[in-house]
Amino acid sequence: MKWLELFSVAGATLVAAVTVVVLYSLGVRLTAIAGDVRNAPASWTRPLAYTCFALCGAAVLFGLYLIIPYFHK
Amino acid sequence: MVALVVSLALFFDFTNGFHDTANAMATPIATGAIKPRTAVALAAVLNLVGAFLSTEVAKTVSGGIIKEGSDGVAITPDIIFAGLMGAILWNMITWLKGLPSSSSHALFGGLIGAAIAGIGIHSINFESILQKVILPAVFAPIIAGGAAYLCTRLAYALTSRHDPETGDKLTQKRGGFRTGQIFTSSLVALAHGTNDAQKTMGIITLVLISAGAQPAGSGPQWWVITACALAIAIGTYAGGWRIIRTMGSGLTEVKPAQGFSAEASTASAILASSHLGFALSTTQVASGSVIGSGMGRRGTTVRWGTAGRIALGWLFTLPAAGIVGALTAVLVQTGVVGVIIAAAAGTAAVAYMFVHSRKSQVGHHNAVEIEEMGQAVQFRKKKSAAKAIKNGDAQR
Repeated sequence: MKWLELFSVAGATLVAAVTVVVLYSLGVRLTAIAGDVRNAPASWTRPLAYTCFALCGAAVLFGLYLIIPYFHK
Repeated sequence: MVALVVSLALFFDFTNGFHDTANAMATPIATGAIKPRTAVALAAVLNLVGAFLSTEVAKTVSGGIIKEGSDGVAITPDIIFAGLMGAILWNMITWLKGLPSSSSHALFGGLIGAAIAGIGIHSINFESILQKVILPAVFAPIIAGGAAYLCTRLAYALTSRHDPETGDKLTQKRGGFRTGQIFTSSLVALAHGTNDAQKTMGIITLVLISAGAQPAGSGPQWWVITACALAIAIGTYAGGWRIIRTMGSGLTEVKPAQGFSAEASTASAILASSHLGFALSTTQVASGSVIGSGMGRRGTTVRWGTAGRIALGWLFTLPAAGIVGALTAVLVQTGVVGVIIAAAAGTAAVAYMFVHSRKSQVGHHNAVEIEEMGQAVQFRKKKSAAKAIKNGDAQR
């Protein structure tokens, strides 16, 4: 039985999904803070939000790089 | 015969496409992230791209389920023809019922049934069935559902905003997830293309090899790749609106953050599984994710009745497609007349189901209108559901 494969698939799924979702959520949260009208937000929130989105995008691209065989030949 | 099988395989690819549009596009359509028509067009293009991206061919189409090779049995085009017939009919039936079911399992079922009837029970490798079909069917929803549950929890925890002094809820501003859904659902569509188009390429190559048109062990020819990619893209564009309805609003109400989490989990699971060699069914992964994300948000209910019906559909997939495959195999063995009868009967059945589907049309215009859909799915006794849909049409 391929238990090892099963666990590695489960692990990889969890790690990948959590990475993407956490980064994106942080981005969303920071954007929300940056957009606050009442309390003037710290100036670093918006750039940090964009950094989160960018990292998230990078994570996705890295995933694609890993799975497309064309890049490995 | 070879030409017949090739065209049947392409038709299977087509049904595969429209059956599985829902996996990628049901949740973004349900949350309004993408307009229905744009969504299917996007999915179609990405399926097309995905089919070309990775042509590491699934040699594992029948994947050792049927003992091939020197000491095993030879798979003839007849058997493949019968197997495809079983798979296509089951795909059509589940589509008519709006059930997301695995196209690959239907294909396996059809091939198994055809091989038992056409060659004998000794041709089947039962251990391989357990390993490649049954276990993944159990674990796919669990893996994807677990990931989606956790992600939904995290997404909500990270974005919930309370006023630090009063503890009142602030505006949550989770609109960003809706934009994010466009990307994650695209990823799912891409993953689907790399995964599912391969199966048909494998089948056609198998037929060509068994007919002696190309040397054994060689990869698919370019026209096979192109044809399969096109067939799955056209199928996706045609859109299985009934299944989109079930996935998008029948299982649970989907909010953008949930949809984002569900799609991220689905895409990761499919890509991880196809890369690490433990094949999971796209459909089962996607359904699991939707359920998981439904459980992850407080105040949402998962309609377990619908989930149960889907699970029941999965149980029947293998035997039902197998029986059709077996019957077709028996017919085909009687000779040319049998082939003609089988082909005619298959065409008639598909045509009948298509006409039947016209009675209660589900299209991009009414696939997800959440309140109404909820009702249609809740009383899922066939007649009342049909009636509810019909009434809905009349009111509009």
